Amino acid sequence: MNPLKRLSKAFFLIAALTLMLGGCGAAPSPTSVPAATTAPVVQPANTTAAVVQPVNTAAPVAAATPTAAAAKPKGTLTVALSTDIAAIELPQAPERQAANAASTMYDGLLYPTADGKLEPALAESWDVAADGTTYTFKLRKDVTFHNGEPFTADAVVFSWTTYSKPDVRYASTWTIADTMTKVDDYTVKATTKSPNALLLRYASGWAMIPPKYYASVGPQAFAQKPVGTGPFVFKEWIKGDHLTVTANPNYWRKGYPKVDQVVFKFMPEPATRVQAIKAGEIDIASRLTSSNVKELGSAAGITVVHYPVDRVYYVAFNNVTSGKGQPTEKKEVRLALNYAVNRPGIIKAIFDGYGQLASGFVGTSDLGFDKSDPYPYDPAQAKTLLGLAGYPNGFAMDMSCPSNGYPGINDVCQAVASDFGKVGVKVNLNLMEANAFWALEEKKQLPPLYIDSWSVTLGEAYPRLSGALAKDETYAAWYDAGLAKMITDLVATIDISKRAALYGTIQKQMRDDPPFVYLYYPEAFEAVRSRVSGYQPRAAEDYFLWDVSVSN
Amino acid sequence: MQRYLLSRMAQAVVILVGVLLLVFFMVRATGDPATLMMAKEASPRQLSEFRHLMGYDRPLLIQFFDFTAGALTGNFGDSLYYRLPALPLILERLPATLELAALGMLMAIVIGVPLGLIGGATPGSLWDSLGRTLGLFSQTIPSFWLALIMIIVFAVNLHWLPTSGRDSVQAVLMPAFVLGLGTLGRLVRLTRSSVLEIMGDDYVRTARSKGLPPRIVFGRHVLKNALMPLVAVIGVQFGYMLGGSLIIENVFAWPGLGRLAVESISNRDFPLVQGIAFFTSVVVIVLNLLNDVAYAFIDPRIRYG
Repeated sequence: MNPLKRLSKAFFLIAALTLMLGGCGAAPSPTSVPAATTAPVVQPANTTAAVVQPVNTAAPVAAATPTAAAAKPKGTLTVALSTDIAAIELPQAPERQAANAASTMYDGLLYPTADGKLEPALAESWDVAADGTTYTFKLRKDVTFHNGEPFTADAVVFSWTTYSKPDVRYASTWTIADTMTKVDDYTVKATTKSPNALLLRYASGWAMIPPKYYASVGPQAFAQKPVGTGPFVFKEWIKGDHLTVTANPNYWRKGYPKVDQVVFKFMPEPATRVQAIKAGEIDIASRLTSSNVKELGSAAGITVVHYPVDRVYYVAFNNVTSGKGQPTEKKEVRLALNYAVNRPGIIKAIFDGYGQLASGFVGTSDLGFDKSDPYPYDPAQAKTLLGLAGYPNGFAMDMSCPSNGYPGINDVCQAVASDFGKVGVKVNLNLMEANAFWALEEKKQLPPLYIDSWSVTLGEAYPRLSGALAKDETYAAWYDAGLAKMITDLVATIDISKRAALYGTIQKQMRDDPPFVYLYYPEAFEAVRSRVSGYQPRAAEDYFLWDVSVSN
Repeated sequence: MQRYLLSRMAQAVVILVGVLLLVFFMVRATGDPATLMMAKEASPRQLSEFRHLMGYDRPLLIQFFDFTAGALTGNFGDSLYYRLPALPLILERLPATLELAALGMLMAIVIGVPLGLIGGATPGSLWDSLGRTLGLFSQTIPSFWLALIMIIVFAVNLHWLPTSGRDSVQAVLMPAFVLGLGTLGRLVRLTRSSVLEIMGDDYVRTARSKGLPPRIVFGRHVLKNALMPLVAVIGVQFGYMLGGSLIIENVFAWPGLGRLAVESISNRDFPLVQGIAFFTSVVVIVLNLLNDVAYAFIDPRIRYG
């Protein structure tokens, strides 16, 4: 073979790899698309979400209260994950699937219930000082780590110190507490610089680790074989293939866990997950698509579950850089564009009817979700509003989209552009390579219209609201001083019902004078075998397995 | 011979430099991984801290020299996603890919070469039609589709084999078959055509005319010459197989290099993508080099040509 040919072969190899990098959204499996990889990682994956509204699941959890008398754990639960998980040390887990698997080995100080409340877990009670900056946790006294070390205040302080270092992936979920001190063996005190309503939510995701074991094996070895207090104990991690954990016989929730082994199998291709559950090799297959669901049809012994994910798709406006002085600065224009989009049509045509109309930036499962109706599809009203704004004949504007950055996004962008066109707003659509799009979004160099999505995993819309609307945030392209002030107030409002009310006020404001066109909340699809009971995935695609059981 | 080897090695070095350049600059053509690595709520300050920490705020040329110096000593830096050195992550996946490639290649040779030989020796026979059909089928059928069909038939309906994974010994059978099939077809067609061509050559006619039994003519004169081009094809194909098959490893959840490549690309895990691309290129280049050397040993015309 001549050198030229060989060079061209080598080139081809690299080009193929690099092309895939360029069009990574076009990679064959939609598995990587939803939350973790293709999209900007939106929220620390290791924070546990709290969900306000119960999601639509196959087998809702019966009772979450531990009962003393219970049978020994039995059976193996096999869960397919769509990624090769990269870390099983919870605070280092880079995405949701890894965090779900890792969290079986840990407990947080609090436990987020499926309906969005916080229950005692490793902390039996907690107290927030009147000024909202001191949080005192009373710890359970009957908890031991998997290696036998007792769980005490020292462990909490040690865990916090270890994971609030800057090189930890989601250190920000720990550094929300400014200090962490031991009061006595079973009491710790966290302080914040200013009142922070989210501290308790984050505390439910703080993974507690044993100081002596960690110190003796070191961070590298710990990451390969983590030890926590959780319902399951590490057994085996074969990279790229599976993770196995076994029941913790000394778990503090007496009578739990219900299964004696959980195997997480890494299966990147959704079609394979579908076949594997049909073959009976796995019990739970998540991150499926609506076409997988059609294929599963009415397979015996398998239930398909779908539920809205806490993610909002939207058309963003810009009044900070490119949109200054543009028609979209006028409220009537933004209202008109909300009326102009045929959202039910988009959900029906592009997502087989699965998805919910978005009415704002607070997700259906978030604290303070306001059930007020989304804007109806009303092109006539849109035209009237455009006339009122002084654009009876419409106008032309550029719009960018992250090509293949999310499932179905290219079709959505084209549909939106065409709907805008029908009311006279001529859109020059630019479907850009997704990473280039996000790079421009970061620099605020996108045109005055662009389509993106934003997920949260906290059970509250605060990170999304603040990220998109507070001053000088990385991806904020709209600034409204009144709105920004209300969002700042949110985090200082410790009282949960007052905070819920404030979310309501913000939603009303964002509906009357919309900084976005709200498109839809997508749905997640999972298949669960009927031998599984108690499995309940939540809106952040997270779940807990301590009360899940399997029959033969 | 020495001159031949030296020139081949010099070419390999040139290619390696080209690979380094391409890997580095093409990976960077779409920006840096900061936006993908950080939470969307991350503040501009956190983003710039990340870039500084990872060295993405330095001039590209300096980053390139850094990468080159590291790559030549096998140090590709830490994977952004795994937070572990890239090379051990790559080597960790190598046994799985090696197993798959070796078995796939073995199957292709064991089935493909005899079918090609028979077909070439007896054109138009039943075996020949079978071999030609298989050759056509194997090169045109999409591997993704075939893989799924096999899973449905052998795992879901018959329960003979597991759908995917690398838990059991049998698990390798389906992915190895699908991976080897393309090469199998190529080998059938190549063997067949070279046998056919040689059968018509003068020296074969001479051998026949001097009264050698057909078995000897075929074994001594045809076979030796027909197998020569196969050496080249097998070497090159094996190199590609070692790069890992993106599609097959994904469908069969096989924990090999191809799947690691797919994941690291969609995670924009620069150090790992660079490591995999460079590593596979080196493997292909080395295999090609070995192949050229082997070829020169087998066929004197090459080393003197």
